[in-house]
Amino acid sequence: MTGRAFTAIVTARLSAERRTVLYAAATAAVAGLALPREPVAPVFFSCAAAIVAALLQSPGRQAILDLCEESAPLFGRELARAKALAPCIVAAIATLAYCAPSIALRAPHALETVAIAMIAAPACALVALSASVREGAPRALYVALACTVAAGAYAIATAGASLSGELAFCALVAFVALRQYGEALARFDPV
Amino acid sequence: MPVLRMRDARFFARGAPVGPVTVDVAAGERVARAFPSARDAAITALMACGIVRAGAGSVLVEEYDPRVQGAHCKRVAGFVPHSPLAIDESEFERYVTYRAALWDVDPMRAIAHAKLLLERLDGVHEAFAYPIVGALIASPKLLVLDRPQSAYAGAILAAAGPRAVFSTHVNDDAAAAFAPARDDRTVVLR
Repeated sequence: MTGRAFTAIVTARLSAERRTVLYAAATAAVAGLALPREPVAPVFFSCAAAIVAALLQSPGRQAILDLCEESAPLFGRELARAKALAPCIVAAIATLAYCAPSIALRAPHALETVAIAMIAAPACALVALSASVREGAPRALYVALACTVAAGAYAIATAGASLSGELAFCALVAFVALRQYGEALARFDPV
Repeated sequence: MPVLRMRDARFFARGAPVGPVTVDVAAGERVARAFPSARDAAITALMACGIVRAGAGSVLVEEYDPRVQGAHCKRVAGFVPHSPLAIDESEFERYVTYRAALWDVDPMRAIAHAKLLLERLDGVHEAFAYPIVGALIASPKLLVLDRPQSAYAGAILAAAGPRAVFSTHVNDDAAAAFAPARDDRTVVLR
């Protein structure tokens, strides 16, 4: 896969969901004005945004993009990498918007909270992407798994007081989830 | 070697089974085939270009098997869906550039090629012309058309040029429009 194809898929996906990104960022910024003292709200907000952004990649929402991607000479793992970046970017934007007031007003632990959220959100998005190509119980199961990853990452970062532990956990989950999503896309039949 | 070779290809997942379908399309040949339902026609077209994998039987696009070499098949075969493309003229260049990026075609060359193809498709409504142009800018060896509009058959075949064309239809008249001359390069199957 060329860099041009990768960039084209990511930008096309983000462009197609630009209104959703804008609304999510605006809502996040307003919610962030509450200046949460604990990291639990920002982390779970970011993870929820990541899961929703991943589910927005479900086939059928952007029919033209879906058809182009399905008929393009790309391997499943290549397509998975490109499609996975879009929800991760959306989650990052939402997280930054949510935490921007806290950072601007120099609230205590604001940067640590951003770090915890920014590490957990991509892992949740990658797990939830596997739900986007499934229906029924498997879809619900993958969404539940993504929520569990969020809880696990939060627990490691706060109860375990280990940001590096959270990073290691999320990196492992993200790696496995991305491979799983690539396999799912390679076997996906758009009928 | 045929560009497309389907042998008792069947599709089982979701709903009524499709097939068995057996068809050969040689280089430069135009094969039009009528199916009992729109679903059968659509799924057969998708199987013919490697987007959907056959559950039984075999499909070869050139020498590639879509079950294990899907990406290679998609480089050989260009797919044109039945439904019109809901984009307007202002978005056309962006659409062509996007497809050019996915197929690794130079964007300027793709745009120039697309404009030339649009001229050949003069008279075809943009919503139907754009997907054909999109499929042809990568210069596939095989063009697969899912239930194309028979009224545009002449223009579509002219735009396709000398490459192989396989089209699926839901009635014999539409199939005959895409294989007008019953010579050794055009076949209508039922």
